[in-house]
Amino acid sequence: MKPNVIMKNKSIQVYPIKLSQPMGATLAVLGVKGSLALAHGAVGCSSLTKIFFTRHFCDPIAIRTTAVNEVTAIFDGGDGIVKEAIQNFLPRAKPEIIGLFSTGMTSAKGDDLKRIVSAIDYPIVYADTPDFVGGLESGWAKMAAAFIEQVMESPKSIRSDKVLLLPHVSLHPLEVEGVKDLLTGFGFEVYALPDLSESLDGHLGVNQASVCQGGIAMNDIRQLGSAGIVISIGASMLPVAEEFLKKSPHSVHINLPGIMGLQATDTLIEHLMRLTGKEPDHRVKHWRKRHQDALIDSHFSIGRKRFILAGEPDRIVDMANCIAEAGGTISALVASTPSKLLERSVAQRTFVGDLEDVEGMIDDCDVLISNYHGERIAHRHGKVQVLRGFPILEQIGVQLKVDTLYNGGTHFLVEVANAIITDHAHRQYH
Amino acid sequence: MPIAPTSKNVRRQKTFCEFITTNYMIEDNGYLKVLRSDLLGKEDSIMNKGTIEELRNDTSCKHYNVSKKNCKGNEPPGLATFGCAFEGAYFALAPVSDAIHLVHGPMTCVGSTWEFRHVGTTYEGLDKTQMGFTTDIGEMDVIHGGEKKLAKAIDYAVDKYHPKGVFVYETCMTALIGDDIDAVCAAAEKHWNIPIIPVHAPGFIGTKNFGERLGLEAAVDHLVGTQEPEYTTPYDINLIGEHNINGEMWLYTPILEEIGIRILSTFSGDGRIDKMRQAHRARLNVVVCAKSSEAICKLMEAKWGIPFISASFYGMREASDAIRRICAQFNDPQLAARAEEIIAREEARVAKALEPYKILLAGRKAVLNTGGNKSWAFAVALQDIGIEVVGVSIRKSNEDDKAKLRSILKADAVLMEKPVLEQIPLITQTNADLLLAGGRSLYSALKKGIPFIEVSQEKTGNYCGYTGLINLARDIAGSINNPVFKLVGGEAPWEKKVSDLEQCLIKGA
Repeated sequence: MKPNVIMKNKSIQVYPIKLSQPMGATLAVLGVKGSLALAHGAVGCSSLTKIFFTRHFCDPIAIRTTAVNEVTAIFDGGDGIVKEAIQNFLPRAKPEIIGLFSTGMTSAKGDDLKRIVSAIDYPIVYADTPDFVGGLESGWAKMAAAFIEQVMESPKSIRSDKVLLLPHVSLHPLEVEGVKDLLTGFGFEVYALPDLSESLDGHLGVNQASVCQGGIAMNDIRQLGSAGIVISIGASMLPVAEEFLKKSPHSVHINLPGIMGLQATDTLIEHLMRLTGKEPDHRVKHWRKRHQDALIDSHFSIGRKRFILAGEPDRIVDMANCIAEAGGTISALVASTPSKLLERSVAQRTFVGDLEDVEGMIDDCDVLISNYHGERIAHRHGKVQVLRGFPILEQIGVQLKVDTLYNGGTHFLVEVANAIITDHAHRQYH
Repeated sequence: MPIAPTSKNVRRQKTFCEFITTNYMIEDNGYLKVLRSDLLGKEDSIMNKGTIEELRNDTSCKHYNVSKKNCKGNEPPGLATFGCAFEGAYFALAPVSDAIHLVHGPMTCVGSTWEFRHVGTTYEGLDKTQMGFTTDIGEMDVIHGGEKKLAKAIDYAVDKYHPKGVFVYETCMTALIGDDIDAVCAAAEKHWNIPIIPVHAPGFIGTKNFGERLGLEAAVDHLVGTQEPEYTTPYDINLIGEHNINGEMWLYTPILEEIGIRILSTFSGDGRIDKMRQAHRARLNVVVCAKSSEAICKLMEAKWGIPFISASFYGMREASDAIRRICAQFNDPQLAARAEEIIAREEARVAKALEPYKILLAGRKAVLNTGGNKSWAFAVALQDIGIEVVGVSIRKSNEDDKAKLRSILKADAVLMEKPVLEQIPLITQTNADLLLAGGRSLYSALKKGIPFIEVSQEKTGNYCGYTGLINLARDIAGSINNPVFKLVGGEAPWEKKVSDLEQCLIKGA
């Protein structure tokens, strides 16, 4: 049984869930310490992105704009205003690295970022990320690949105890931290690119709005090439791993489609055991027992329910696997953008579409897992909702949530089961 | 003489391409030839920075002579991030809840915008304000043009959701590729027999304020005067520039209605297409807290002879003053008397409700760092609660706002040009008890260990009208005694001096 991915042949998106490449690129830049995102486009591209992520993470976002207007759009191929933008913000913010990326308008008119950057004497990493191609995942991946292509040096030798972790965009900051901790426990020296685990993880920082205060250090990116092992998570990070292997062809690459649920985590642990010849430490083993227990405890409620999941492909496929392990029926997956991973999902039907498509088949589900925009629809049709994805506006602590590995999977199953149980109780007594 | 594409003719230049083709011609050798006579003699320098600078400045704007800035806005590259014209237009019109708001562009424009503002509506059908519609143009559309996709999108949306009208928003991308949105809208309008309004406010054309003006102008151009109201009263007014964010409008409209004033139409909080079409029968336009909306009032004054006044409902004194000035326009002693009665009643109610707060807040000092007209609107409200305003940011204020501020603040109050640098020293110097600002100033407040109240556009509570003042007092009172600011601003154990730690140990022992 291989489900076909259905591309909705609509000329419109209603209740859209897709997000754009520049937004993904922004997040990727913020995973580097001392960075500043610079959007090459009209002022709105950066101001809307800034508001979006500020409200999602409840934290300041270090982003600036080249403020293309109707005059510079014609007379300036980007050379003038990118330089002017940098000159203008330097007195206020001195980033170690500027992450420059294009938007729809500047890509369409053919601004050549490579040429622009070569004429400016300041460290800049650039990526071409028009918003009319791809989505959040590809924007994040393109920016990550740019750091590898433009900053990372070719290694003289590689170390078998050094790991580069390439997390997909939808992994929460504390989930990245969790995977890093697990790898450290196996004796590896670990670097994640991009690394949001100390930048958008919801800590009280100083001056976060002018320059990004956490993330992987530039010096560490330069020396990433010596990592003997690359672990990429999600299909969207495959191109980034390929970029890495171009420069460091002797490294071992492991791609995991996801890290949620018992089997996915088992796979990761098996890889690590094979690589190191070590067993995980006691706490990890014990969390597996808790996860087993959570599966048993939650299967009563989850097992009887049907689910629709909407969001970024890497995340929803991963979540679907985790829920399916507890016996939940995945009636449909609705992804924001196409992905190879969707073809291998456990769902009965898989779409690339929007929340209007979700509403169209809402009767096929009991629980909707989507971002904040799905709330209205779930409420209208009396469905249980669990919030995951971008954006989540009405809850705080989004970045603190951990759904991955044995410990996160345990919490995730419990949360989903409780949402179902609470709803059931609510219906009974009211 | 500076070259000035005035805001007016930019609006008329329907598409981006038109702007170029009317002013310049590309010659065989690849150079731009200047067509407009006032640009002649500048061919050789057309690409230099000075000329670009001149083109950016709209010298016809009245504010230009004062601050060398115009309303169209020319934010310099690289500085902070302000909203774009599309954002302004979208937020200005999106509160119309029975119309579809279709964004013709790529995903960032609407993907990061929709359902971000709580805009109150009384509409009983499906609230289209909280739905996102976009054509999500892709690579192929950029190459082949997005007109067909737009036409299909309009057909799909109208057929499925039966709106009273459709607003189609142009964006940077679709302006650049030159989609003829006007033609598509006209054809669809004919087919579906409902107003389908093209809104030409691509992001790069100017600031959020300018976009708001372009959006409202498009609505006035296409809608106002196309339908007659069922009945009219001598006391019909329109509210202009009121978006009803968090239901703010409803804190004062019942009072106006009680006095006997009818809100015929709003642009565009809790708005309806039909109401907007009937707006030309109003006797007065009231601009609520938004300077950019004055342009459409002038338009309506010229076309239908509707006079307009500006009014703010932030703070008790301002609200009472606004009601009096609205009533004064009708020249009806009975109406004025009724207004006085209700004003007296409301002021007494507020005074009573504020009593406990005033004891708590009297003599406190506040520093205020917010944008535009909100700077003085909040200053007045704070004064009404009994808080002294010792400093206000004027970074985003225009000349009118600054003049207003000077008239209401004490002589020694500081007007901050660079609040980022000035506010911390100011808090120290004045011993201020409270900081009201946007989210990024949180750290300033924590550093000084004083309470912080966020007053950004997205998070502002219901602070409008008489009840709004009580809400503001309640929120400030809730923050002023909250321990988190001192607690969070304090030192961690490892930041403390050694002697302090020893003290602790001795105490513990």
